[in-house]
Amino acid sequence: MTLKGFKLGRFWSTVVALLIIYLIIKWVIPFVSRWLTGLPFPLPVPGTLALFYIILTIIALFIYISFSEERLEEFLTPIRRLLLGMYGSRTRTVVLAIIPLLFGWQIYSATVPKVSSPTSLRIQHPSSNFPKDMESLKNPLMNPGDSEVDKFIEEVKGNNVQFIPEAASEIEKVKGEYDNILGFIPTEPMQAFLKDMKAGNVSRDKARQALKEKYLFEGRILYAMNCRACHGDSTGGDGPMADGFRLRPINFTENGTIETIVEGYTFWRVSTGGRGLPQEATPWDSAMPVWKADIPEEYRWRIIMAEYELAQKTPRQPEKLAEGGEKKE
Amino acid sequence: MIKRVSVSLFFLVALSCLLLTHVQAADEPAGKKPAKTPEAIEKGRVIYYMRCSFCHGLQGDGDGPVAYQLIPRPRDFTKGLYKFRSTGSGELPTDEDLFRVISRGLPGTAMQTFDSDKIKSGLTEEERWQVIYFIKTFSEDFNDPEFDPYKAVVNVSSEIKSSQASIEKGKKIFQEMMCWECHGDGGRGNGPNSPRLKDKFRGDPILPFDLTKGWRYKGGNTTRDIYLRFNTGINGTPMPSFTDSLNDEERWHLANYVVSLQKREVNNNPVLSAKFVSGELPADPDNTLWGSAASIDVLMAGQVIAKPRWENPSVDLVTIRALYNDKEIAFLMEWGDRFKDTVHNPEKEYKVSDVYKGYVSWEEITRDIGNFRDSIALQFPTAIPAGTRKPHFFRGESGNTVNLWVWKSDLEESGQPPVEEVNASSPGQPMKIQPPEGQQIKGKGIWKDGVWKVVIKRPLLTEDKNDIQFEKGKFIPLALNVWDGSNGEHNLLMSLSSWHYVILETTVPMSVYLYTLLGIAGLGLGEFWLVRRVRRSG
Repeated sequence: MTLKGFKLGRFWSTVVALLIIYLIIKWVIPFVSRWLTGLPFPLPVPGTLALFYIILTIIALFIYISFSEERLEEFLTPIRRLLLGMYGSRTRTVVLAIIPLLFGWQIYSATVPKVSSPTSLRIQHPSSNFPKDMESLKNPLMNPGDSEVDKFIEEVKGNNVQFIPEAASEIEKVKGEYDNILGFIPTEPMQAFLKDMKAGNVSRDKARQALKEKYLFEGRILYAMNCRACHGDSTGGDGPMADGFRLRPINFTENGTIETIVEGYTFWRVSTGGRGLPQEATPWDSAMPVWKADIPEEYRWRIIMAEYELAQKTPRQPEKLAEGGEKKE
Repeated sequence: MIKRVSVSLFFLVALSCLLLTHVQAADEPAGKKPAKTPEAIEKGRVIYYMRCSFCHGLQGDGDGPVAYQLIPRPRDFTKGLYKFRSTGSGELPTDEDLFRVISRGLPGTAMQTFDSDKIKSGLTEEERWQVIYFIKTFSEDFNDPEFDPYKAVVNVSSEIKSSQASIEKGKKIFQEMMCWECHGDGGRGNGPNSPRLKDKFRGDPILPFDLTKGWRYKGGNTTRDIYLRFNTGINGTPMPSFTDSLNDEERWHLANYVVSLQKREVNNNPVLSAKFVSGELPADPDNTLWGSAASIDVLMAGQVIAKPRWENPSVDLVTIRALYNDKEIAFLMEWGDRFKDTVHNPEKEYKVSDVYKGYVSWEEITRDIGNFRDSIALQFPTAIPAGTRKPHFFRGESGNTVNLWVWKSDLEESGQPPVEEVNASSPGQPMKIQPPEGQQIKGKGIWKDGVWKVVIKRPLLTEDKNDIQFEKGKFIPLALNVWDGSNGEHNLLMSLSSWHYVILETTVPMSVYLYTLLGIAGLGLGEFWLVRRVRRSG
């Protein structure tokens, strides 16, 4: 290690090399890991692995030093000088006192009893008691049948579309403002459908899309009433109650949450809640309510529809259906 | 050499770029404000419909389907009254003021951040501007040039840095200006006027802010944010502007004082370490011995798990400590509560009605002083779990029950034993009070200046199979339930916590000291030998 006009002895360059390796393990690797993974926390090197790296480094340095007699001599000279008191006897005393004390400190901190919280990993989608027949369950509101759509068209024609009671007070306030009660829904599929209706063009496809807009309106209300307090306005798992639960409510916008499961599973989780989870579902801290006790089935499907839409995700398709789809293509 | 310098320079630059990306301020718009075109307003209408209307109402009247369950109520946009502004008292907000609120949300309320940099499915900057343009259409005032908010932006002078002298001056102003009449001597929102305040939106009761809760400042908790509130007042609430009554410098001192009242660091450690003491355990919450025990802050949520659900709990944090000796264990719980409620009227209790909509409306329950008691319960599993599986943190489950120690202020006030030992196996059923011979806990609660301090103690071990037994060195799950009577809380209307743990700190075994001493001595001798050897050979 030579910089211009300055030479670092063999002993000190060894110490500096060791120190650099230590700093890399302790700070640089966690820092780079955070940058590489994009996670909000660093990934530290586990203690035993760090020890292993340091021992390897010491061995490598030792081999390097003892490779030639000269190098070894050069390395040992400052140590010998210190022991002989050539840097002053006070320096010697201090150094000789510090080393055993540091060693003692290491022994103490390694053997003293420590308190750290018991951890158990979160099992993402526990399913040992998930009923098999729910695997292929589809949200009945996502693809309303022809008869249902026809009924809806008739209701729109008669301007007597029915909403869930939770929306009643709102509908009452706005109904005077529009030719057709559905006019308050400003989204494109609804407005296009109403325009066609007015012109006398009734298309079942457009009516189906409009009906879904109506379900979404109701679903968003029900989500905001029942789920928002924990899962948040934007389904980010950040509702006003979220900080109070150590196992945070799931963030649906995260990859690997509601998009990796089939709708039937979502429906099952919403219905049976934290108490319906199987044995293996560590850490058993889910605050998810058992919604089948309080919310009717057709409400739960509306909520699930709105939840996926708000999170901008789509559910995974059940295996068989997905395979069938591929074959057709 | 040059190469070496350039390499390290490159790393320095790369490093600072990485760091900079983390400290971008998101509350202020990064880009330019788009033009307010009819198309932008139309886009805003759709965004408002999809994201805002459920609380704020399709007509912007602050009375959407969800409004019934929220305190404070969603803002009524038709009135043109906005709380958090950079403009003078009574004035309209600037677009940037609205942008700030939508971007960072209002802590402690249902209004959350809508910043898509923070929440993936939030709103982009452009979408936030569009929705702001639409929200402004609800009130005619925004079209009136006479009310132009940009002409009413308050002056912000350069900040007076906080110092002991500035805080002292601020404290004097706090007293002279009678801030304590509402906010209380200690700033806990419990001043003599606090039970009578009403807002100007609907005449709803409104409580003065608890200034010690640093995490709940709706307009931001920095000195500058608070100084700005003194300049602007909070429209629609009893909080006035102080531009006429205090000079600029005084407002900075007052802001520094308010910041000094804030609890800013929350120790959200899941493990409470109970400290060993050799003598008697303190029964009094004010005993100085408690200061020697480590504390943790337990964050609380509203009980939103089983009906009746309650989204507006008043207690969101409880600080807890524990001490033990060879016979007993004692816990001290401290939490902010504006009013001392020591009466309980069972006939006023809430009953789930046929029209129950999922959550309890705050208008359906009696939220006043003098109806319900304040109370706290410590919850443990009935037995220390053998594996890692614990009972459900909300009152356990059948076959995996919990043991609760309940303290009640009305019992304390009337001179009865204030604590009860109970068991529960489901939130749906009432808790089972243990028979008189099973009641081994003792408790004491003191309310002072808007803070409850409650001590509960019990022998470490009992003969009762319905009791938790405390063993040294084991992680024992612990959770809390808290009720604030004047907030209408009783039965399942309460705040609750998830499981935390208490561990009885074990004393350091002698062997540890022995190993340490042996290690030091051994290495010292080795050194001695080395010195002698080097001397001889050298």
